[in-house]
Amino acid sequence: MAPADPTPARRSLAAWLETRFNLTEMLAFLSSFGVFPAELDTTRPFREALHDAWRRPLPSYARWPRVLGLLSFLLFLFLVTTGALLAFYYQPTESEAYRAGTAIVRDVTFGWFIHQMHRWSARLLLVMLVIRLWRFFFQGTYKAPREAVWMAAVVTFLVATQADLTGRLLTWTTTGYWTTVRALEVINALPVLGPVLMFLAGGTTPDSLFLTRFYVLHIAMLPAILLVLFYLHFNGVRRVGLSHASSESRATGETARVQMINMIILAALVFGGLVTLVTLAPTSFEPAADPALTPQGMRPPWYLLAPHAIIEMTPTMLPRWVGGLVVEAILLLIFMLPFLDTSAGRGTRERRIAVAVGIVVLAIWLVLTWQGYSLEVRR
Amino acid sequence: MRGAARPLLAALAVALAAAFIPVAAAEPATGAPRVLCGVCHPDVRVQFEQGVHFREGFDCTSCHGGNAAATTVAAAHRAPFRGTPKRRDIPALCAGCHADLAKMTPYNIPADQYALYLTSQHGLRLAKGDDKVAVCTDCHGVHEIRRKSDPKSSVFARNVPATCGRCHGAPPPGSPEGAPPVEGSPFADYQAGIHGQAFLQQANNSAPTCASCHGSHGATPPGIGDVDKVCGQCHATARGYYREGLHARAMRAGNGPECAHCHGNHRIARADVSLLDTACAACHAPDSEMLKVAGGMKALIVGAQDEIGVAHAAIDRAAAIPLYVEDYQARLEEAHTALVQASPVVHALDVRRVEQLTARARGIAKEIESEIDGKLGERWWRRVGLLLFWFYLGLTLAVLWVIRRRALEDGRR
Repeated sequence: MAPADPTPARRSLAAWLETRFNLTEMLAFLSSFGVFPAELDTTRPFREALHDAWRRPLPSYARWPRVLGLLSFLLFLFLVTTGALLAFYYQPTESEAYRAGTAIVRDVTFGWFIHQMHRWSARLLLVMLVIRLWRFFFQGTYKAPREAVWMAAVVTFLVATQADLTGRLLTWTTTGYWTTVRALEVINALPVLGPVLMFLAGGTTPDSLFLTRFYVLHIAMLPAILLVLFYLHFNGVRRVGLSHASSESRATGETARVQMINMIILAALVFGGLVTLVTLAPTSFEPAADPALTPQGMRPPWYLLAPHAIIEMTPTMLPRWVGGLVVEAILLLIFMLPFLDTSAGRGTRERRIAVAVGIVVLAIWLVLTWQGYSLEVRR
Repeated sequence: MRGAARPLLAALAVALAAAFIPVAAAEPATGAPRVLCGVCHPDVRVQFEQGVHFREGFDCTSCHGGNAAATTVAAAHRAPFRGTPKRRDIPALCAGCHADLAKMTPYNIPADQYALYLTSQHGLRLAKGDDKVAVCTDCHGVHEIRRKSDPKSSVFARNVPATCGRCHGAPPPGSPEGAPPVEGSPFADYQAGIHGQAFLQQANNSAPTCASCHGSHGATPPGIGDVDKVCGQCHATARGYYREGLHARAMRAGNGPECAHCHGNHRIARADVSLLDTACAACHAPDSEMLKVAGGMKALIVGAQDEIGVAHAAIDRAAAIPLYVEDYQARLEEAHTALVQASPVVHALDVRRVEQLTARARGIAKEIESEIDGKLGERWWRRVGLLLFWFYLGLTLAVLWVIRRRALEDGRR
């Protein structure tokens, strides 16, 4: 039988795969998640397209402050990986959740490491997403044609908070349980949005069924939504390009290959930082939740403290949903920001009013967060 | 004026006296007889009215005879007036009612106390003419006799040791108020012993009082061959093992030790392994086979105790970190239970059976220790692991940096 290919010995695995899959398109798809820096010509063979992309000069990409999106995605990947490992041992029932949690942390080999990685990644992810939003705002990244990038970032943050909230309950520890209860009080006060979310969760009190739904939301639905949002964000960035301050030089001399190495260094540093935090600052062990016993000083998670303060500070003669409506209105204004700010340019001088409003909002947000925190102390 | 006032005042005094006698004033409608004894014996009347007999409608004449409604001393003390009953007559006097089944049954009070009393050491000695022994009134009170469920009653369970102690350990006459009981007396010994400490100091009402072991009306010290029955009412497990052992066989033959030989009677020592040193050596020679058995059993129990102590310390260390230890605590409780089961087996004098149970206690404790030690050790290695990790990561970063520089040079070309 004559060989179909005259030079089989010289063919590489990539070439073998090339004839069976469209590798270029796969890599191009991945680049829409920010993990590959350059754009690829999907009509060309994989090796050629990659070779071409490697040498293409690129504006600085994986470099401060534009790393926040990438960092968020890296943390998201850590969360997915560690979350999958945790799910091997976790059991989402009222009777087993806590026992399974303690078994993971204490008895499973490296269970403590995986669990702490998951917790620290989640914390850092939310912090990254908030910082990223403020960076977008102060650097004018929401201006046309980047409205969708801003809107995706806002929704990403909101969804990430929900992923964090659903995760807190899963441990079934005292703090996890009662933080969820306090958070649900805030969410329940939001008109329309609150009842809809409560319907999805299946009630207003955390019980066994509620736990199962939070579990499904936490491990399947919310990560899927986040993945779509990250895709939208990076795809949008790919289309409209990175934003540059006018003073910044575009000719950095860096190629996509250098960017890739930058990114790997960044990932290694993030991983190193996480491992250090996990080893030196692990969250301490907590007792099991007792739904019949409310501990003192339990408050909603930090990102809900400001809404909590707004709702709690609504005068008692008004119904609670009035405070909720205020929170919703603020969220809507933030989401629609690109269409509200009609100033001319992206520079700070060109949109003085917007920047001033932003500083005031940031200050109010910090004050309200402090208010929300100290409300429970006073009680 | 003065002469006219005298008979008037006298009439007033009689009227007042009549008005202030509650029995007469309060119950004329029920047809109860007028009781005027209190006019002359007011302190006795006050005491009597605190008691159960007054409340049940009895009066002075029920015990003392005479005529309670009489208005003169002579008429009141006319026959059949008994006066103050003699001590030796008191049990029979009380028995007049209290041994009458028909009278006692409505109150749900047993009617056999008198019969029991006659069999007691108190009763036997009284029959021999010794009237210094306790009669009914010594324990129950004279006029102020309260129900035994009344906390103010001298025979209320919590007051029993003090009541018995009034004779069995009371300080000699003329001692100052609140003087301690006589050293070596049953009451002093009871106070110092484990039963007395539990009952009196720790308010443990299930701990025994005098009456729990001696009986109340039939009070008598348990005889030879009966001690294990009395103690076994509470310490059933220990008694069961005792009856299987050689000591019990010797006791049945007439010269073996019973509970009190090792534990004491009133000054009862805490059941502790140290008894295996002191109590056994009191009868057995220092190099005897028996003392070796005792030493062996002691070593087994002490070994298990120590092991449980070590496991306990390990759990404390882990909990301080904090590490989840609830399941370890539950398992340690299991080990402790095995040790508690092992202790009474000592009474059977069988080393092998003690060994089986203590081995279980030791095994569980050792298992907990090794698991916790493993986990604590692993925590220490985490830091070492972190150092190794950063060493490796540093190398990786250095290599990446070199590769990056080359790529940059490539790009500039």
